[in-house]
Amino acid sequence: MEIYLPIAEQSMNVFVLFALGGAAGLLAGMFGVGGGFLATPLLIFVGIPPTVAVASQANQVVANSISSLQVQWRRGNVDLRMGLVLLFGGMLGSSAGVWLFTYLKRIGQIDFVIAVMYVVMLSSIGLLMLIESLLTYFRRRRNPTGPRGKLHTHYLVHRLPWKMRFYKSKLYISAFLPIALGFVIGILSAILGVGGGFVLVPAMIYLLGMPTTVVIGTSNFQILFVAANVTFLQAATNGTVDVVLALLLILGGVVGAPIGSRIAAKLPGVVLRGLMAVLVLAVAIQLLFELLRTPVSPFSLGVREVLP
Amino acid sequence: MRELRVALILKLPSPACGGGVGVLRRRRGRDARSPPPSPSVADYRATSPASGGGRRNKKGMSAGVGAIAALLLCLVAAAAAAQRVERPGQSLPAPSLGGPADSSVPPSVPSAPTVPELIVDLSQARVSITSAFQGESLLLFGMFDPPGEIVVVVQGPPARETVMRKERFLGLWLNTGRQAFDDVPAYYFIAASAPLQRLLARGAGGEILSLEDRLSSIRPVRWRSTEELAKFRGGLVEVKRREDLYPAAFGQVTVQAGRLFRAELPFPSRLPEGVYDVRAYLLREGRIVAAVSRPLPVGKVGFNAQLAGWSRQAGTLYGLGAIVMALTLGWLGGAVMRRL
Repeated sequence: MEIYLPIAEQSMNVFVLFALGGAAGLLAGMFGVGGGFLATPLLIFVGIPPTVAVASQANQVVANSISSLQVQWRRGNVDLRMGLVLLFGGMLGSSAGVWLFTYLKRIGQIDFVIAVMYVVMLSSIGLLMLIESLLTYFRRRRNPTGPRGKLHTHYLVHRLPWKMRFYKSKLYISAFLPIALGFVIGILSAILGVGGGFVLVPAMIYLLGMPTTVVIGTSNFQILFVAANVTFLQAATNGTVDVVLALLLILGGVVGAPIGSRIAAKLPGVVLRGLMAVLVLAVAIQLLFELLRTPVSPFSLGVREVLP
Repeated sequence: MRELRVALILKLPSPACGGGVGVLRRRRGRDARSPPPSPSVADYRATSPASGGGRRNKKGMSAGVGAIAALLLCLVAAAAAAQRVERPGQSLPAPSLGGPADSSVPPSVPSAPTVPELIVDLSQARVSITSAFQGESLLLFGMFDPPGEIVVVVQGPPARETVMRKERFLGLWLNTGRQAFDDVPAYYFIAASAPLQRLLARGAGGEILSLEDRLSSIRPVRWRSTEELAKFRGGLVEVKRREDLYPAAFGQVTVQAGRLFRAELPFPSRLPEGVYDVRAYLLREGRIVAAVSRPLPVGKVGFNAQLAGWSRQAGTLYGLGAIVMALTLGWLGGAVMRRL
């Protein structure tokens, strides 16, 4: 069954889009991060213009994160103070990101930048996660109980100014770092149409040293508002949000998320992280291949302008 | 070819003055090559509804008011058009129009036939892009006074297109070259009842342009060497072909009983919106003896049109709506699916 997408201006198979949303939801449920990093490249791959794919995917992230946040909030897993500080940076970053997106679109390099950023980000995150999960896996096999270390190590973060106390996260660190982190995630969110959870979650654990219990909830809190901001700005400045496309992705995601969380409940965390690392790397390699391969045709058309 | 007979068969609701520019440009193109037509014909053209290229004016107007408004608009358009660069080579044929407003046509139209030599109609008055739109095939049909051959030219609204070329840079393929062209038709399709090369070789008054001829008149926005421009022009055709907007094959006009004809007009799913121009020509011995032009509006309808309109005109509201939709569905979906 085909449906015409009014903003993408082409018809697409309903079930393909529904399945894409479902896959994104599945990942969200399994790994606690939005599946945007997988869904956006796939949308582009099936022929949706990158600009529309990114903006509409941001809209889906809004729906995705509110459903996860619902649960996390009830369980008290949101560090509101940390969330707001991250959000401050996130709002600045996403606004700057949409501006950058508009500029890149105008000079005709947006597709390239999207692809390169995905490759760089996914391959580095994927590798880090793979190494980390392999190390944990083997260490645990050697020493099942493991020594109990410090809560977190002290380094540069603790020497910067603007120190703030985050009670829920049991942290006393400079506000500068979460703001900068939020800013970077905001830019990623605007240009790549991802929530940024797969960057934010590891960064919160390893960079900020937050306890894992509050990480997912807090990142969801920040992602919800940043994705909403991206959706709004993309719609207002570029007019690239396709609500019909977003609707199908959201419906798919709603079905996929609980299935994902049920799978996640049955698998140990290390295996789960390892699986995700492999998946992230696979997407990165595919995208890299697309960049290196000689294109079928070197020509493409930019935006058609009807002159008055 | 000067005694090109005007077949007055179009049925347009009322004079739409928005098309003044298009009509005028065509006249200029004609005038460049020939003495101006008789004043009566000129008056008629200036006051008649547009055959395309302009926006449609939905509001009905009385014939008199419409004629005055059209004249005024055409005057304004003339001033604007005078500043444009004259394009030799691009000489679109004079439109032949008609409709209820024809009562205003003076009887002095040269040798207006009581029975037109060429009558054309389309199976649909417009191409409606609905939610189920996957491209559409329209049927063009009509009748002509034999003998003769029929050529149909369908042209999408002109616009500026930017062609981008990828080149290898540090092993990666990225867009390094770009070239914009003005006056590029969104869509171009030709159908004929006989091999077109044969018909065009006899020189159909320079009015029927093959795609190559039509594209030779598009204006590069920035100048490069001729070879480079040719490459970009080739790239433009390549992309448009891929999207079926410049169908590679010529269409077939089927003639039945010596005087009835029909042709399929294929429109792909990625169809730019605007008013398309459908023209049919009757050729005898390589000369155009009659021509009929019909505007064919292509646009989104219903829900699609509304959404696209909001997105364009009220982007902020549209964005807020999208967020509210996502929040509601995400919240409800999450709550419902967890219960199951």
